[in-house]
Amino acid sequence: MSASSAMLRRFVYTAQNWCSYAGADMAGTSRMQYPPNARFIRVMCSSRVDPQFVLKAFELGADGVLIAGCHHGDCHYVTGNYRAEERIRLLEKLIEQLGIEPERLRLEWISASEGNVLVEVMNDFVKKLKELGPSPLRKDKE
Amino acid sequence: MPVKVAMVSLASCWGCYQSLLDNHEALLDILPELDILFWHVVTDFKYKDLEGYKDGSIDVGIVEGVCRTEEDVHILKTLRKKCKTLISLGSCSTYGGIYGLLNLSTMDEALKRKFTEAESLEEPSIPDEDVPKMLDFLIPNRKIVNFEIFLPGCPVTSQNIKDALVGLLKGELPPPPNRTLCDECPREKSEVITIKQLKRDYEGIPDPKKCLLEQGYICMGPATREGCGALCTKAGMPCRGCYGPGPNVIDQGAKMISALGSIVDYEAISPEELVEKVGDVAGTFYNFFLPSGIVSKTVRKAK
Repeated sequence: MSASSAMLRRFVYTAQNWCSYAGADMAGTSRMQYPPNARFIRVMCSSRVDPQFVLKAFELGADGVLIAGCHHGDCHYVTGNYRAEERIRLLEKLIEQLGIEPERLRLEWISASEGNVLVEVMNDFVKKLKELGPSPLRKDKE
Repeated sequence: MPVKVAMVSLASCWGCYQSLLDNHEALLDILPELDILFWHVVTDFKYKDLEGYKDGSIDVGIVEGVCRTEEDVHILKTLRKKCKTLISLGSCSTYGGIYGLLNLSTMDEALKRKFTEAESLEEPSIPDEDVPKMLDFLIPNRKIVNFEIFLPGCPVTSQNIKDALVGLLKGELPPPPNRTLCDECPREKSEVITIKQLKRDYEGIPDPKKCLLEQGYICMGPATREGCGALCTKAGMPCRGCYGPGPNVIDQGAKMISALGSIVDYEAISPEELVEKVGDVAGTFYNFFLPSGIVSKTVRKAK
């Protein structure tokens, strides 16, 4: 494992079924390169991401959590992504109070055709997380 | 033969024992059945009195408060060894309680604030003689020893304590509650609750009949288990969540964030406004629960 990938071992990418996961598929079938640090978790809607999941990911040592959903107005379930946004903004404030940098939690809107946006977001997120260093909750900090 | 009971207080306000005494006449039926071996809140027992009993020789132990010092941990472990049944009395003992908010600071920050920066101090100094060592962070009692019975609440209601004691004496405990506070709250609720405007507790006068959440007050009801009889909401005060999370919920605060996300009208209140209006997210949603939460303490480095 190279020094840079050891420093950032993993983050969690929670993609929602209808747009963002298809966006990731799009990036894959177009053979776009993106960083290997993500653990993908597919959920039916960005509002399916219970705040408990995010806290659990951090508690298990994830360096960052990226949640991707449909653009506003595109939700398969009408209002799911609005709900998700309200929750994630509250969560950002919460993790800040707990001493985790709020930049480690990110919410992005990625549609099924935006494989390139996904790659850009992932590259940018990995870059930012490397600047931040390992999560303070990581048990193995080598 | 009377049941042998030992009661200890760790870091706490002693309010839960006050709640026990608030049973008044009902105590007259219970007290003759009890043989109180240790209760240093009301009379002069020493810790060595408790240490002197044989292991497993006490029938029921009652713990109030959370472990703040190494002495507290020692007392808790000793009591566990001596008792057959251990009851966790109150939110402090069950979840960490209001003391748990100390986990938002490091120990150094907390000591500094209390003993050197507090406004009322004349001679600031951090005491270091004849005091037990402080723990770095609060951990809920259940992570230190096992309990048989949990009675959360801040304070736990007199009725709950009476039911538990009478149940123990009879050998049949009441079933644990299985719903959330909203289920036992008598306020009228619509089928779909939507919050169009958020209010702090001091803003306006709440309608005495309608659901407080619907009126825009942040009420922890949906994320809190029943058992208290909706004391606060009946009196017009939003629930602060002292009875802890509902059934099958791990993290009370996260669940309340989830609930709020579902019912806030996103057209009327933007995410930024929501965060601004809630303000202290950890303090509002984890008022009694922080040490038991998934991320249970600050990971900030001491400056």
